[in-house]
Amino acid sequence: MTSILKTFNGYQLFSKHLKQSLDMIAVPVRGRQNPPPRKRHPEWLPKPTHVRYNEDLTPENKEFLSEVASLNKGLHEMPKSPLNTELIQPAKWTQGSKRTGLIGKKIGVYPLWLKNGKKVLTTLIQIIDNEVVKYIPPEKFNPVKHSKHLHPKIKNGCLVLGAVNIDPQLITKEYYGIFNSAGVTPKKTLMRFTVTPNAALQSGTPLCAAHFKPGEFIDIRGKTIDRGFQGVMKRWGFKGMPASHGVTKTHRRPGNIGSGGKKARVMPGTKLPGHMGNRWRILKGVKILRINTKYNVIWVLAQNVPGEVNTMCYLYDTILPTKKNTSPHFPTYPPNDINALPEELYTDDVHPFTEPNIEYQSEQES
Amino acid sequence: MTMVSRLWCQKTWQNLALAKVLGKEPKTFSTLVQLKTDEAIDDNDSQAQTNDELIKSPSLGNYRLVYPEFLPDPNPLFRNGIREKLERMDMLNRRSVLSIPEFYVGSILAVTYSDPHAVGKINKFVGICILREGCGLRSSFLLRNVVNGEGVEVHYDLYDPAIQKIDCLRLEKRLDDELLYLRDAPLEYSTFPFDMEIEAKISESIPVNDIKIPLNPLPWSQRWERYNLKGVKEIVVNERRQKKAAALAKPWEKYDLMKTYRETIPEEEQNEIFSDVYTKLNELEIQKNILKRKYMLQRQKSSKTRTL
Repeated sequence: MTSILKTFNGYQLFSKHLKQSLDMIAVPVRGRQNPPPRKRHPEWLPKPTHVRYNEDLTPENKEFLSEVASLNKGLHEMPKSPLNTELIQPAKWTQGSKRTGLIGKKIGVYPLWLKNGKKVLTTLIQIIDNEVVKYIPPEKFNPVKHSKHLHPKIKNGCLVLGAVNIDPQLITKEYYGIFNSAGVTPKKTLMRFTVTPNAALQSGTPLCAAHFKPGEFIDIRGKTIDRGFQGVMKRWGFKGMPASHGVTKTHRRPGNIGSGGKKARVMPGTKLPGHMGNRWRILKGVKILRINTKYNVIWVLAQNVPGEVNTMCYLYDTILPTKKNTSPHFPTYPPNDINALPEELYTDDVHPFTEPNIEYQSEQES
Repeated sequence: MTMVSRLWCQKTWQNLALAKVLGKEPKTFSTLVQLKTDEAIDDNDSQAQTNDELIKSPSLGNYRLVYPEFLPDPNPLFRNGIREKLERMDMLNRRSVLSIPEFYVGSILAVTYSDPHAVGKINKFVGICILREGCGLRSSFLLRNVVNGEGVEVHYDLYDPAIQKIDCLRLEKRLDDELLYLRDAPLEYSTFPFDMEIEAKISESIPVNDIKIPLNPLPWSQRWERYNLKGVKEIVVNERRQKKAAALAKPWEKYDLMKTYRETIPEEEQNEIFSDVYTKLNELEIQKNILKRKYMLQRQKSSKTRTL
């Protein structure tokens, strides 16, 4: 027994000689000692690639499916709404009722001329394949962010709209389920619009640019252009400091940010450098000047609609009390009457390009 | 310095106002005597030419020069197919109301414009086109002339519905793409009579006027030695400025393929765009040619009666 113990001791001694004779001193790290582990994909696992489920289709079947997907091009291709039109009754607009908005795509900015010769910049917003996907009645509608009114007089329901048709082969089964239950082609974007129960629409109802009339005022919500981390001059329009006259190292800086005496802190809300843009903003009270019913494009009197060109934006009836609309198409423009409208709709003060040149009457003649 | 510039601005504005007050009847403000012999030769030529002048519309390959504003901004951030199509439709609609002639930088234009502040509510300005910019409905051009011994420039939108008439009095090109250096040249080089008549088209191709213009002594509005101008006689600046210009010159830029790719619309897309508008433009072109021929015939008759 003792011999065995001795041999073990010998081993330990041997191992002690092998070890480096250095005294490790642990120095405490200041600051954050245990940074949270970053999520990193294990090197030994293959990288996940989003490969679609292999459905083992024959080439003929694949061709047929892509043909079907490309056939559904959008509203203006559709000859007649497939809905049971009796279900969409043109209701009467009453005070306090709220109808749905539209999902649009900002497609560019160009000038139009008014009849008085004034040049105005307009933004073009295209309404692409807007359809109702779902109606949630007021009892079931429970948004995360509640209305600021504790006991609203009318409890609003909600319409889910979809825009821009996509190929059903490209999406997941779960996402497809949303549209399958509604009988609607799968959409790229979905948006929720709160509506009063009298403005409810059945799912599948197509919505077009004629939902609005020229001359009406709308609010446009969009995500502003992402400008990244910006200094105080670009972000808040500060003046900066002189370029010369002995100024060194502070040309675009904010300067004093307040504080002094007992406060000894930066007041909340102080304008400082930071991330600029990429925020949801609403441009309110924008006038509609012109509507093209064939391409579903709305010309709006504004050059500052939030967002880049080719991004989505959301159009609502304005909430500004002086510009509120009292006789809209309610709950929407009847989808079967779209062909009855002329291709171009203008407000009275816009000069259509097909009309003759602008001429001013001299005072004596008038 | 600021005071001087302000005064200068005021002066130019007053003159601009003067230009706007011009009545319906165009008056001659020019100081330069036009060479009458040249005009006479032109007239004789025109008589022979008008009969032979074919109703020839520009071919599809030529459209990018004749109708540059139909090509959209090549910046991909601003591009959208539907918007471009709608814009083109609007432009064609405007063109079917007002016939906009073919013109280039260096051509002499007469623009009749309805102006609420003018005496007869209508105004006419004649001048040399020194700048053509913008695309689509935003396209515009800048006309320059001398009125009462002061250079006057008027900026017009090409598709402004207040324009009553655009006449191209002399169709020609210059050696440069922009003639903004005329601001720093002697006034005689930007002086054109307000009662100029439309000159007959002599050759099939657009003539290039290879006139070399001397610049005024310094100071200038821009540092012209940096621009590599072809239509200027010789630029005399001090050694320091010459060195600076040489340092800032980018002679390799013309070999930058990516730069040209970024700044132009590819040929396939151009063909697509112009084939979209070809039929309408061609119709308008034929109408324009018929009108032009009628005008030339009338002029011939009137000149004959004068000679008799």
